[in-house]
Amino acid sequence: MKELEQVFNGIVKEYSERLYWHVRRMVASHEDADDLLQEIFLKIWTALPSFRGEAQLYTWVWRIATNETLNHLRKERVRAALRMQSIDAEMERRVEGDPYFNGTEAQRELMKGLAKLPEKQRQVFVMRWWDELSYEEISAITGTSVGALKASYHIAQEKLKLNLSTLEVSK
Amino acid sequence: MTKKNDIFVPEGYFQNLEQKLSRIPQQEVRPTTLQKVSPWIAYAASLVILATVGGFLFRKAAEPVLQEEYSWDYLSYLSRSLDPDGMLEQVETTDLTSEDIVNFLLADNVSVELLAEANYEENY
Repeated sequence: MKELEQVFNGIVKEYSERLYWHVRRMVASHEDADDLLQEIFLKIWTALPSFRGEAQLYTWVWRIATNETLNHLRKERVRAALRMQSIDAEMERRVEGDPYFNGTEAQRELMKGLAKLPEKQRQVFVMRWWDELSYEEISAITGTSVGALKASYHIAQEKLKLNLSTLEVSK
Repeated sequence: MTKKNDIFVPEGYFQNLEQKLSRIPQQEVRPTTLQKVSPWIAYAASLVILATVGGFLFRKAAEPVLQEEYSWDYLSYLSRSLDPDGMLEQVETTDLTSEDIVNFLLADNVSVELLAEANYEENY
């Protein structure tokens, strides 16, 4: 058990900050990112005894984080629909009212555009643009082919460009 | 424009976060009430949806003309997803919108909270 705790604490040290930024971009709220991050690490702790090392630890940790984040967003979307509310409007409201945002108006528009992307496109865009993961890394994490990821990224980029003439997407 | 430094965190957040997360192994992980009853909620939701879809199909079969908003394809698709996970999957992977599903459920007075609250777990 002590050994597992050491591994877990190593994962916390190595990945918590980086995963926070990923989750924060995805959910567009510090509070939600904080809550979700705890769920992610609880899941990592619970699943750690079954980690067999077939995947790299890095890939495994990211896979849990991205799956949990997508599940969270999917549930939010369904719950919003059940309340007859628009999740897009809710996400936009979060970006508008984010007290931990100090970027330019163009950056805010980018975040708003991002929040409106379908979850998987948003995920690929965040992982590539902000997390700066390679397509190969994203592919190993998500189980999606590099070709499909490039297509998703391209579509996301085009959608964001429609709203953002100032966005300099160089990737 | 730069792509970073547009969002930030409260001061000292990451130090606290690391400490908070490192305490997870010491916490006794107790299933929440919702988690305990989740399989039963899913089961109940499946039965409700089965009954709803079945009833809907029966009533539709008695009607001479199908209403445009509920085609047979739509109904047969719904009938293959008799659990909350399936419903959620549909929302994500098909052209059906969550509103389509909600409208369908609401039209038949289904307690849709069951669907919303049903948790599901990923295995890693």
